[in-house]
Amino acid sequence: MKEIFKDILAIEDVRGVVVSSFEGEILFSEPSLEIDKSLPLFLGALGAVREADLIFEKSRIYVRRTDMGYLVVLLGLFASGAMLRLHVDMVLPSLKDRGKGKGLRSLFRRNK
Amino acid sequence: MVKKVLIVDDDQEMLLSLEEGLSKYDETFSIATAEDGLGAVDELKNSTISLVVTDLKMPKMDGFSLLSHIMEHYPEIPVIIITGYSTSEMERLAREGGAIGYIAKPFMIDDLAKRIITTLRKEADGGTLHSVSSGIFLQLMEMEEKTCTVRLVEKPSGKQGILFFLDGQLLDARCDSLRGEAAAYEIFSWDDVSLSIQNSCPQRERRIHRDLQAILLDAMRLKDELKRIVKPAAPRKKPATPAKGKIERLSPVERVKQFLRKEVGEGYGIEDVYEDNSWESYVEGIRRLGAAFKAGELRAAYVDRGESKDFILVPGESVTVVAVNPKCARDRIMEALSE
Repeated sequence: MKEIFKDILAIEDVRGVVVSSFEGEILFSEPSLEIDKSLPLFLGALGAVREADLIFEKSRIYVRRTDMGYLVVLLGLFASGAMLRLHVDMVLPSLKDRGKGKGLRSLFRRNK
Repeated sequence: MVKKVLIVDDDQEMLLSLEEGLSKYDETFSIATAEDGLGAVDELKNSTISLVVTDLKMPKMDGFSLLSHIMEHYPEIPVIIITGYSTSEMERLAREGGAIGYIAKPFMIDDLAKRIITTLRKEADGGTLHSVSSGIFLQLMEMEEKTCTVRLVEKPSGKQGILFFLDGQLLDARCDSLRGEAAAYEIFSWDDVSLSIQNSCPQRERRIHRDLQAILLDAMRLKDELKRIVKPAAPRKKPATPAKGKIERLSPVERVKQFLRKEVGEGYGIEDVYEDNSWESYVEGIRRLGAAFKAGELRAAYVDRGESKDFILVPGESVTVVAVNPKCARDRIMEALSE
């Protein structure tokens, strides 16, 4: 599953990728991050968000709604936002196709 | 624009004599060589080749396999087969496989050169243009609903790229080892290009699914952002003390407005700036999300809810909302606000 996100993870200053279902289940995390159990709740609080770019004092969090949940990318302050969005746009169709064909959630689970 | 012809043959002497014999045409095309199909595959991946001349019988990867690889991955590249074991069956197979020419060894080098030049001319049968901006020209291709293959060279760097249009739709792009959208972004960032148009599009597989305008716009944004990353930040001028005092006395909304005017400038897709505390619980949710990742204090949040406007939220005693056009200079505004 790392393969899908390898280009995103290769962007300079990208620190990790997390995929969560709408129900809050963490489906994928690379690298394996210590994630607060309340994360799904906070993601749910974003409501009908399509995309969010959140800048904090020490790092950035990019959130993108996908067909199967949320894609969260953790970044340093120097990562290129445009480059990240470009790669996320490129990844989305493949997530969609896999979701339609085999069920992405089961695929994520199998590869954990 | 000098084209590059790749000659593939496991016979070293043959390669040398072809290289030497064809060197007198070096103003029209240059020569690259490979000793087998695998070497040719690498060469195709790493440089822009206009035509391939290949032997059939070779170790590792034979000419037929190479031909089929080219037809699958580079269908616009014409292939001429040269072979010392010519039979009518082989010729039929080569032509059915997509080869545009079949020459039995021995042959006159000048005959091969003539064949190469005639074939290469077709690459530019729709004309050539120099010193144009790729963006403007490609929008014309879309408007005219052209079916063509466009080969581009960025003049300052000599980089080459290729775009495939079918009825005005951008199907695919290639630049070095990049393909599809990634290659299109690279090519669209070039300002000063020479290009040639071939009035046909052998490529049929669609690798680009987005609208040309959207890709052009993103390519421009990406280019701007990369420029800003590469360019060292200019030293900030210290504001005069009275002005600073004045800003500090302003309301959060006025402060953000003035700050944006100063740091970002007028326009850039900013539609409105206002205070809206109905966003407070939303901002609180974002703060908690940040805490979950130990990200520190929230500086600014860009929120796209798929509406006609996007929103940038600036936390403070109250929430200041900057309503922006989805096509705004997002990174520039966010960078300024997060400081």
